[in-house]
Order: sequence, then C-alpha cells, then structure tokens
Amino acid sequence: MTQEILPPLSASLHVKPAGWRFGLRLWLPLFLLWLLLIPLLILALPLLFVGSLIFRFNLWRSLRAANGVLAATRGSQVEVDKRDTSVFIKLH
Amino acid sequence: MHDNRRQILDMLAQGKINSAEAERLIAALERSDMPVARDTSAVKYLRVLVDANDEQEGPTKVNVRVPMQLLRAGVRLTGVIPDRAREQVNEALRKEGIPFDINKLTPDNLEDMIEQLRDLSVDVDNERAKVRVFCE
Repeated sequence: MTQEILPPLSASLHVKPAGWRFGLRLWLPLFLLWLLLIPLLILALPLLFVGSLIFRFNLWRSLRAANGVLAATRGSQVEVDKRDTSVFIKLH
Repeated sequence: MHDNRRQILDMLAQGKINSAEAERLIAALERSDMPVARDTSAVKYLRVLVDANDEQEGPTKVNVRVPMQLLRAGVRLTGVIPDRAREQVNEALRKEGIPFDINKLTPDNLEDMIEQLRDLSVDVDNERAKVRVFCE
C-alpha cells in the first residue's frame, strides 16, 4: 500500500474559543475511525454490489475513486484567526 | 552548434584569437546549448488567503491549503459516473450556458491544466477584505 492511497491517518486540531486564555491542542487518530469503518464497509459490500448491478456502475472503480478522494485530503489545512477565536485543522 | 564550434576553431587556426579565448568561447557556446532548466516540480497545493476586516466582528484571517491531489481524485471520480448521467450533466451545463463536455475531462488533460495553474495568482483587494489565491 503506497502512501498516496492511504486516507489521512491523523489530524491536528488547535482551537481557541472566545474567552479562553489558552487553546486546546488535539491530535486525532483518524486511523482508529477507519479501522471502525472497515467492518461496516465489509458488511455493506453485498448491498453495494446489488446496487452496482441495478444502477450499472463499476463498484470496484467507485470504491477506488472514493478512497482516492479521501486519500487526497491528506495535507489539507484550514486556519481561521479571528479577534478572540482561532481554529486550525490539518490532516496528516 | 557544430558550425559555431568550427568557426571558433577556424579563428584559432587563423590566429585571430588565442587558445584561452577559444576555450572561453566554446564554454559559452556549450552553456548556451544547454537546455534551460525548467521548474518541473509539480504544483502541490492551492492556497487561499483571506484577510478581512469587518466592523462588527473585527479582523479575520483565513488560510486554506487544498492539495492538488484532491482535484485529480475528483476528476478520477467523474470516471465512474455512468454514461447516461454524464449526458445529463452535459445537458444541464449546456442549459446554464457552459458548453463543457465532462467526457473530455481526463487525467491527462487535467495534468496540462494543473501545469498551467503554476503561474495562477488571483488577487482581490477590497476595502473590507483582501483575497489571494495561488498555487504552490
């Protein structure tokens, strides 16, 4: 598995709400979320397969493309600074 | 290139230039024949910077970095759209006055487009906000 096809494995979240003296610095292990979702995806595969036959789309290609979009979000960064509030999110 | 080099050697043979000058000229000739170094590094991110100043909410700064890979993945996602749905999308775009054929949106075309984005820079200066969009 190359790095390009892996979804974001973690996220950094820095939040400083209004009125707070210090902000929160969180590291979110997103890989745990993916580990939880994989069994659900496996359970949903028969339904997706039936859906692909009914709506005539390539299930394998669709899953790969969806995973590609997810993997492409790695490196995304959003930073918002206001007078007394700031938010920073980065996907690793 | 060979003609120029021969010309320099002829001038050396005729005694119009000395060996040091000939060497310098040949070195200059080789430098000029070297391919121009091109920035081949891929454009990785689209950056959006907003610096706004609202009277009520005060100054706000926004800094968003979007990976170009997301654009590529989005185009690959169009590949899984069924043909009938593609025609409907094209029809809807035509109705909106956008004569765009999403069938022509391929990863190869996209690479060319992203390459052109390298020099993209959009600057919007307003009394209330400054917006800058560029690729890096």
